[in-house]
Order: sequence, then structure tokens, then C-alpha cells
Amino acid sequence: MESNELERFEAIMLPHMDAAYTLAHYLTRNDHDAEDVVQEAYLRALKYFDGFRGAAGGESRSWLLAIVRNTAHTWRHQHRADTLATEFDEELHSETVAHVHPETTLLREAARASLRHAIDGLPREFREVIVLRELEGLSYKEISDVVGVPVGTVMSRLSRARRRLQEALRSEQQER
Amino acid sequence: MTHPVLEAQLDAYLDGELTADDARELEAHLVQCPDCAGFRDERIALRAAIAAHVPALQASDALRQRVRAALRVAGGTRSRRRIAAPVVWRSLALAASLAVVAVGSWRLALQRAAGGALTDQVLASHVRSLMPGHLTDVVSSDQHTVKPWFNGKLDFSPPVYDFSGRGFPLVGGRLDYLNGRPVAALVYGRRQHLINVFLWPAVQGPAGGPPAATRQGYHLLHWTTREYAYWVVSDLGISELHDFAALLARGDSAAATPAR
Repeated sequence: MESNELERFEAIMLPHMDAAYTLAHYLTRNDHDAEDVVQEAYLRALKYFDGFRGAAGGESRSWLLAIVRNTAHTWRHQHRADTLATEFDEELHSETVAHVHPETTLLREAARASLRHAIDGLPREFREVIVLRELEGLSYKEISDVVGVPVGTVMSRLSRARRRLQEALRSEQQER
Repeated sequence: MTHPVLEAQLDAYLDGELTADDARELEAHLVQCPDCAGFRDERIALRAAIAAHVPALQASDALRQRVRAALRVAGGTRSRRRIAAPVVWRSLALAASLAVVAVGSWRLALQRAAGGALTDQVLASHVRSLMPGHLTDVVSSDQHTVKPWFNGKLDFSPPVYDFSGRGFPLVGGRLDYLNGRPVAALVYGRRQHLINVFLWPAVQGPAGGPPAATRQGYHLLHWTTREYAYWVVSDLGISELHDFAALLARGDSAAATPAR
């Protein structure tokens, strides 16, 4: 690799490190693992940089985040079981509480504080789309590129993820 | 529309992902359906709560340095040769150009320098150096490349260190003109910050400026050793800049990483 190629890589990819770390953090739910995942992902990205022909900006962010996501996925299998979250089943999770129509309640402060806990408890397929949309601000198309599922699936996963967050918060409120 | 479909549509609507036609249809439904309007409000509240309580995170400085170091090693391994330019260079240059935009008042600095004190000259030189293409004449993290570069350009040979082991990697050097004479300008990095070190042979007489000053968000430190007059300028936090000045003042060769 020419040194100016490394410089080009860094100029394009290093600005996305906060986004990479945010995604890795919420996927691994652990600071140390998140940092290891980010470093590993950057090394992988450098290795496959020849295959990246996009311009700077959003495209490079999606490209890098896809690698971060895959690295975190591999990491989980190699280093620890994903014990906190329930296993994901597209059909099962599709059918849950379809017709319960929630009453409108403003979320109380205590419930808000537990949002992070609720997100940590989501299956990772839900967690990642929430993080990519709400924290990273990616479009459905970009999320589709990162996660590798059709836009329609992104849309339904996001919606179901939000419903689960509201349910988690509501049940927590009732327990208090 | 069934509720699960509506729910996803409404989320897509709030995400700005619905087509204009679908959005109009949904808005028409929301006007006449209090249940769905309430549902929309709940979703908006959820979004607000996430925005307020679930932060996007920042990579730590330690992680940034770790990743850069790993990339440097990996990049070097692949090329089987040394990377000549410091890897921080490009991002620093980018940060520098952004810094110029952020400062915005550099013209003022330049104007004041024209008739002003040495402090203003030093600040102006620092700000000017941040403009694209002005930072360095010689780009290298290797003090054994930067130091000889000044040979024949100055009537003194400035001490050059690489403090990358202490988190202040050498970025490069350039010639500058201050206090009526050509001077050495050495550029060091600290994360996304740049530090200019100006030095020239010390002369007898009154000190050239205050030991510390803050102008337009930049910190300036000044001291004189037996051999050199030093000026250090950066937008770095003042305590870290003092740390750097202490390293420099000690000329701590132990702090310098061995030349690669």
C-alpha cells in the first residue's frame, strides 16, 4: 500500500470513528469489546479498502459501519454469548402484540432514564436498526446497506423495535 | 389499514421516508383518527426520549491513537516499507482547515500583526500556518529528517524532538519570519490539535513578550533559554500545552521515541 493510499483511507474513514464506536458499543454493550471491535474493523476496512470505490461522506460511513457490524457479530461468536438479549426470530417477533393499541402517555422521567436498559435488552437485530437510525441518523437505504436486508425489512424492524421499547418502558412504569 | 402496517407507515412517515403520496394519505387519516394521532404523539415522545437519554458516543483519544498506530503498522506491513508521512498528518490538516473556518477572524489577527507586538506576529503566523498548504515545508515525523532540512536555510540548527511517545507526534517543520528574522517553525500534533513551536537564537535584552497569553481562543506560551527564544501556540487546552512546553523545555531526549 502506498503511503498516500493509507492517507486517503484515513482521511475518508477516520472521521467516522465516533459512529463506529457508537455502533460497536451498543452491539457489544461493553466498552472494552467495543474498542477492540473498532480497531479490528478499521484493520479489516484497510484490508478491503481496494474494494471501496465510493466517495467520501455517507457512502463511506455505511461501508465502514457494515464492517463494524460484521466484526461485532464475529466478535460475539468468538468471545461471548449474547446472553442479555433474546434470540431473534423474524416470524415470532413479527407477530407479537399486533393489535394492542397503546394509550397516549408521556414517558416519565424515570422511564426515560431506563431507555438505555431497554435498548440493551432488545434483540440485536432490533438494537442495530435503532442505533443506526436514532443515533447515527442513517436513512432506510443506508441501514439496508449496513445490515444487508431489504428496505422494507428495515422499516418493519424499526417499527417493531420502537414498539418493544415503548412496551418495555410501559411495563417498567407499571412495576413502580 | 391494519395497525401493524399503519405503525410501520407512521414510523416511516416520522422518519421522512414515506413518498409524498403516502404521506398525504397518512396525514388525512391522522386528522380523523384520534387513536392514531395519539399513537403518533407517543412515538414522537419516544424519539425525543431517545434523543435526550441515549447518547451517540465519542471514541476516546486512547482509542483513536490505538487505531492509528494499528493502521500504521498494518499499512507499513503491506507496503514492506516505512510510511514517510505521519499518519496523523491528513486528519490534522483537515482539522486545521476547519479551525481556520471556525476562527474566521484571522484577517484581524494579520492586520494587528502588521503594526503590533511580537505576540500578535506569532499568533498571526500560527493562524496563517493553518491555512491549507501553509503548515509545513517538510513533512515528517522523523526528527532526523526535519532537523537537517533546516541546514542552509537558517543560521542555527533548531533542536527537534519526536514526542510521539508522549502523545505529541512531530508533524513537520517550515521556515517562518518573525521579529525581523527567519525562524524555525516546528509543528507538533495532539489529537486533532496542532501546535506551532517558533524558535530562534536568544538575544540579550528585554523579554520578547508575556510568558502566557490567550488571543482569539489560542494559547501562547513564551520563554527564553540560554540558547533560544521559544514561542508555542495552539488551540490545545492550556494545561496540555503547559505539559508540552515542559517536555520541550527539558529537551527530554528520553521522551523522544527512537528514530525509525
